[in-house]
Amino acid sequence: MRTWSTPALVVLCATGAVLLGGTALFLAALFLHSAPSNALSQQYRTELDAVIYPEFEQNWRLFAPNPLQQNVTVDARLQTIAADGTVTTQEWAGLTAGDIAAVRGNPAPSHVDQNLLRRAWDFYDATHPAQGNTGPRAGLAEQYLKRIALQRLGPAAGGVRLFQVQLRVGTAELAPPEWSREQVDSAPKYRELPWWPVAEADLGGLW
Amino acid sequence: MSTPQQDPSQQDVEQPSTEQQTERHLLGAVPRQRVRTGRLDLRARHTGRLRAAFATFTGRPLAPYQAAVARIGFGLAWVGYLIREWPNRRVLYGDRSPWSAELADRLLAENHAFTVLPWFQGRLWFELVYHLAILAAVLFTLGWRTRASGAVFLVTVLSLQNRNVFVGDGGDNVIHLMAVYLVLTRCARVWSLDARRGRDGGAVWLWLLLGAVLAAGPPSWPWLLWLVAALWWSVNRWRPDGEPRAVLDALATMLHNCAMLVIAVQVVLIYATAGWYKVQGSRWQDGTALHYPLHLDYFTPWPWLSGLVGSSLLLVFLFSYGTVIIQVAFPFTLFNRRLKNLLLALMITEHLAIAVLLGLPFFSLAMIAADAVFLPTAALLWIEHRVRGSKGLTV
Repeated sequence: MRTWSTPALVVLCATGAVLLGGTALFLAALFLHSAPSNALSQQYRTELDAVIYPEFEQNWRLFAPNPLQQNVTVDARLQTIAADGTVTTQEWAGLTAGDIAAVRGNPAPSHVDQNLLRRAWDFYDATHPAQGNTGPRAGLAEQYLKRIALQRLGPAAGGVRLFQVQLRVGTAELAPPEWSREQVDSAPKYRELPWWPVAEADLGGLW
Repeated sequence: MSTPQQDPSQQDVEQPSTEQQTERHLLGAVPRQRVRTGRLDLRARHTGRLRAAFATFTGRPLAPYQAAVARIGFGLAWVGYLIREWPNRRVLYGDRSPWSAELADRLLAENHAFTVLPWFQGRLWFELVYHLAILAAVLFTLGWRTRASGAVFLVTVLSLQNRNVFVGDGGDNVIHLMAVYLVLTRCARVWSLDARRGRDGGAVWLWLLLGAVLAAGPPSWPWLLWLVAALWWSVNRWRPDGEPRAVLDALATMLHNCAMLVIAVQVVLIYATAGWYKVQGSRWQDGTALHYPLHLDYFTPWPWLSGLVGSSLLLVFLFSYGTVIIQVAFPFTLFNRRLKNLLLALMITEHLAIAVLLGLPFFSLAMIAADAVFLPTAALLWIEHRVRGSKGLTV
C-alpha cells in the first residue's frame, strides 16, 4: 500500500469526500426524479430540476403504466393560391401513412419515419390541453408541426404559392386480443385543427 | 515532499496532533497502534478494513472490463445510428430540419442544453460536427487516445441530440447519459488501442487542435476537460515519478469508481422504474400488455411476425408477466450472482427480440450495452480468451 504525504492525504480525503457526497446526492436526485411525485421531491423540486435538467433527464416509464393502446394518425392538406387569387384546396394526404410505409419491412427504421412526426404530435398534444390555457411551448410545437406538414406536402404542390395548411388527427383504439371479452370501437375518431396560414418564413430550409 | 515511501514502518510518527493522528490512522499512513484490549482490537480491525477500502477506492479502478464493455457497446450503438441516419442527417439535426435553427435557439435559450451546432451558421459546420461525431464514436469504441476521443464523443452526442430533442427515443437517452458518465471513467484500461500501446499519454497536437476548436466558440464546460488533459500531460512530462502524478492517478481512480457506481445505479434505475410503474398498469395485470405494442403501426416492421407472436395467449401472457417480474426483480438479484446472470441473459434475449419485432435495433443495442455492464468478469475474460484464441490478437 502506498504511503502518502500529509498534503497528498488531505487532497485525497477532501476530494474523496466531495466525490462520494456528490455521487450520493446525484443518485438521490436521479431516484427522486424517476419516482412518483412525492413529499420529498415536491419539497426540493427546484434543486432537483437544477440537477436533472437539461442533461440528465430520465424517462423510463417504457410502456408503463400501460402501453399505448391506440394508433394515432396525422393527415394534412394544403390550400394553394394561384396568381389570379384562386384558392385550391387539396385532398387529405396521410403523413403518418407515409411513415408506416417506410417502417414496413425495414429492419432499421429511421428516426425520421419512426419518431419525428409521432413525437412532434405528442409535443403538440402535451402543450395544447383540451381545457385550460396552452403551455408556454405551444407556439414552438405548432410551428414545428406546421413545418413537418409543409416539408412533406410542399414539393407536390407544383410550385404554386402555398396559402394555408390544415392538419387532422385520427385516433383509433387498438382492438383487444381475440381471446378477450372486451368490446372496443376501433374506428378512428378524427379531430381537425384550424387552418394555419403559411408565410415565406415558415418554409426556410425545408427543401 | 519526497517520493512516497512504500514501507509504512519507516513513516515518522512523532507526536502527531490528535486530529492528525485520527486522520492518518484512518487512512493507513501510520502503523496500527499496539493492541492492548479487546475493544482496541476491534477498533484496529475496523481501521484495517477502512484502510483496505481507502486503498481500493484510490488505487484500483474497479470493473475495468465492464467499463470497456460500456465504452464499446455505447460507442457502437451511436456510430451505427449515425451511419444509418447519414442520408437523413440534415432533416434530423441540420439545415433541413423542420425543427429549424430558430426554433431550436428559442428552446435552447430556455433550457440551456449544451450544443455546439449554433456556434456557426451554415452547412459546413454542421457537416463537420456530424462527421466528427462518427469519427469520435469509432475512435472511442476502439479506445484510441480515449481521454480525447471520449471528450469529443460526449460533445458530439450532446450537440446533435440537443439540437433536436424531439426525434430521439429511450436509446438516445441512454447514450446521452452514458456519454457523460463514461468520460469520467478510465474505460480504456483493457480492450483498447491505448491499452495495447501500453500508455494512455496524450498527444499534444490533438490537444492543441481541440483547444483551437473550443477557442472558436463561446466559453463552455469542455474547456474543463481540456485543462485536465493539460494537467495530466504536464505532470507526466515533468514529474512522472513524483507524488503529484500519484495523487492525480488516485483522483482519476476515485472518479472512475464513483462514475462506475453511477452507471450501475443508472441501469438499475431504468429497470426498476420501468418495472415498478408497470405493476400498476391494468394491461400488465391482465397479461395482455404485449399485444398492444405488437399492433402499433409505428412499431410493426413485420406485421405477420408481430401477428404471429401476438396471437398466442400463452406467449403474450408469459412475455407480459415475465417482463414485469424481471424488471422488478433485477435490482434485488444483484445480491445473488447466479440469479443476476440468469436475469441478464433473459434481458439481453428480450432486447434482441425487441430489436427485430418492434424495429428498434439501436435502442436495443444501447440497452444491451447497459445490461452488459453487469456481466461477470469471468464471462468477459472468457470472451477475451475466445477472441484472442481465434484471431491471434494481442489486444
